Formats: sequence, structure tokens, C-alpha cells
Amino acid sequence: MANNVSSVYIHVVDDVVSKVRDEFINFGVGENVLNELQALWEMKMMQCGAISGTIERPPPAQKPAGPITPVHDLNVPYEGPTEEYETPTAEMLFPPTPLQTPIQTPLPGTDQSMYNIPTGPSDYAPSPTTDIRNGVDLKAGRPSPYMQPPSPWMSQRPLGVDVNVAYVEGRDEVDKGAPNQPMTQDFFMMSSGKRKRDDYSSQLTSGGYMPQQDGSGDAMIEFILPKNQAGVGKSMTACARDTATKILSKKETKTAPVLPQQDGVHDEYDDLFHFQGVATEDYNTPAEQVELRAATPAVGTPKPAKNEAAEDDEPPLNEDDDDEEDLDDLEHGEEEPSTQHLVLAQFDKVTRTKSRWKCTLKDGIMHLNNRDILFNKATGEFDF
Amino acid sequence: MATFELYRRSSIGMCLTETLDEMVSNGTLSPDLAIQVLVQFDKSMTEALETQVKSKVTVKGHLHTYRFCDNVWTFILQDATFKNEERQDQVGRVKIVACDSKLLTQ
Repeated sequence: MANNVSSVYIHVVDDVVSKVRDEFINFGVGENVLNELQALWEMKMMQCGAISGTIERPPPAQKPAGPITPVHDLNVPYEGPTEEYETPTAEMLFPPTPLQTPIQTPLPGTDQSMYNIPTGPSDYAPSPTTDIRNGVDLKAGRPSPYMQPPSPWMSQRPLGVDVNVAYVEGRDEVDKGAPNQPMTQDFFMMSSGKRKRDDYSSQLTSGGYMPQQDGSGDAMIEFILPKNQAGVGKSMTACARDTATKILSKKETKTAPVLPQQDGVHDEYDDLFHFQGVATEDYNTPAEQVELRAATPAVGTPKPAKNEAAEDDEPPLNEDDDDEEDLDDLEHGEEEPSTQHLVLAQFDKVTRTKSRWKCTLKDGIMHLNNRDILFNKATGEFDF
Repeated sequence: MATFELYRRSSIGMCLTETLDEMVSNGTLSPDLAIQVLVQFDKSMTEALETQVKSKVTVKGHLHTYRFCDNVWTFILQDATFKNEERQDQVGRVKIVACDSKLLTQ
């Protein structure tokens, strides 16, 4: 059976290679590249045990059950080293903006080191400004620009947020948080759902590039946010509002408040923020999520405030208890790609009677217990 | 012609994707060409499964989660048993992703 699967795979490889050969020639790339592709592909397949070593075409002698390369998480489309990604969240959909802090204008009381995190458009070539910043203050674990190619836009924050002031507040948190980010530095945007809000927002601000030149920029910032929120993901919104809150609260001590503070510091926000970060299987509070995705702070704030008030009067609803179970279940499943069993197929029919589900599938690949099994037809009976 | 990209998530598909990624990263291959290879893989894989594979499988288990979105069914089963002519497999947890077979033939 394993031989059979191998032979089908080899057939597929040959088929693909022969059909793209013309394309390669048309492109002017040449057959060498094609051969290299084929060789690499087969080698990888042998490494992960998809092909056995015993096939007509003489492969390099390797044990079929050889060191099994950890298969990446099959549950998400392959987009680069997936272990470093959390579930793609709205942060991935950031419109890549070419803006960059052209001038560093340090406010009194702030450090140039906050611009340590590069925001340049070319993230893997060190730009002069990046070097300077890195030279100024290079701490271990600081997000470096030389991360994965697919995400050059990650460190660009299109928020019009006062980064200087807020960063000072959150600076300690960033330092504490730094050791946590050895691998996920450029992806802290995406992993927002897993991180503490404070870490996230402080990194956010430190990654921002709109220097506030004076205190009267507060009004500007408040208005910029709604505009940006339209193009920005929902968790960005929550953080931006949060950061704006910090700015406002700090500024209010110095000058007369330009805008009345609409938010307090919510604990509620943490829970809600978690919901936004984790995309899957969120059976809970869809209404709140929709609220928070709304563009303006004015719309969003009454809801959390109301919840807070409600919780003060009544015992906590403990809505999150079961959610944690479900989420943990699924997350742990997705973090263990080698043990994640997967079936990819086409369905002909899916029916349900009460809690009894029946389906007919066809043309499928199953990856179970670290082996691949192909089928032409399958019938399933599940009890919900 | 549209293709089902779901087979790219299989072992063979992932190996191909990784290989293509490496080659694009070091400039050996252009991204356009890589995408064409993947599309051809989709077609070849689908065709191979139709013509070269003849086995039948039954699945039984407890349905933990079901989802139907964008014409794709996703089931998560617990304590599932997969039987075919030769062997039987038990798994604690499995995800089944299935696209609508009618979409290809339209």
C-alpha cells in the first residue's frame, strides 16, 4: 500500500514536471532549474516519508522511515515558516504603507532608542537610519528587520499615534517582553491575540512612525484614528484607541483636555481583545466583536463601559470558561503539526439527521499516524 | 480553469511549496513560474486521484466541530476510525477538509 501511494506520488511529480517543462523553456529559465526543482521536491518527500525508497526510479538510498521532518501545520495555507505565525489575524491584512519616520524628533523625556524598531520599507536590507537606531540602542531580543520575506510590511504602523509619550510608559513592558520574542519579533502584530495587550500596544507605539512634535497634537490624533481604522484591522483599532487613551490621560495632566476622555482603562478590553486575536471557533459574543470593529471610538466605547457596569452589579457571567477549553483544544491541535491528522478531499454529499451526520467524499488524501493514504471514495458517519 | 488548492496542504503539496519557496527566495525561480507550477500540481494531483486510486474508505467518529463556509466543509472528529480494505487506523483527533466536487465540473 505504501508502495502504491509512492507510485502515485511519483506519477504526479513526473506529470507536473513534464507539463511545466514548456513553461520553463518559454520563460527562458532552462531545464536545469526544472531538474533541480524535481530533485529537491523528491528529496523533501523522502525526508518526510511521503515516498518510500523503493521505486523504479533509483532514488538516493535513504530509509523510508528516516528522520521525519516536522511537517508544517497543514491546517493553514503554507505561507512561510508557519510555526512563527499565529493564526493570521487582521494584522496581516495591513495595507502596506510606504510611510516612514523621516525625522526623529525626540520629545523631552523620551529616548531615541524607541525608534530602534525599524519601520523602513526595505526590511531586510539595513537602511542607514535603521543602522543608526540599532547602534543607538541595541538590546537583545529587539525586533530586527531581517526577518521573513513575506512580511516586510509588518513593522509599519499606519497609525497616527503619538508614539513618543506612550512609548515611555510602555517602555519597561517592552523590555520585559523582549525576551519573549526571540522568534516572533516581526510578527508581534499578528500574534496580538496571544500577547498581553500592554506588550502589544507598547510595541505598537514604538513601531509607529508619527512623531508628535508638541502636546497639541492630541486632537489631531483622535481624528486620525477613525480614518485609519477604516483601513486597519480590528485589533489595531482597539490598541490604537487604547494608546490614544493613554496619550489623552497623560496630556490632561499638563494642559486643558482638548477632547473629553471617552474611555477609561477597561479590564474588559483584555477579554474582548483576546476574542479578536483568536480567529477560530469563537462562539461567544459576536455582537461585541462587531462593535469593536466599528470605526469610531464613540461607537465602540459605550459597549465595554456598559459591560463593566453590568459586571459590577451582578456576579461575573464567566462566559469565557468554556471558550478557553475550546480554544485550547484547537490551539494545541494546531501547534502540534506532526500529530495533526488531516484528510483533504472533495465531498459529494453531506447530510444530517438529528445529530447523525453522513457524508460521501471522493478523491482524498489522508495523513494519519504519520502516513499518507489515498482514496477514491469514502463514506463517513459521525455523531455530533 | 479554477483548481482546488486544497491538495497543496498535503505532504506532497507542502514539499512542493517549500521547494518552490526556497527557489524563489534564492532567485532561481520567478514567482510567476512558481505559481504556474502549483496550479499544474493542483490539476495533476486531482487527476491522479481520480484515475490512479481505487480504494474505498469508511470513517466513523464523534463530530466535534462542523463548518461550512465558502463551499468548503470542515469537520473535526474525535476518536475516529478509518477503515479500508487493508488496514484500520484510529486517531484521537482529525480534521477533514472537503471542497465541493461539483465546482470542478462546472
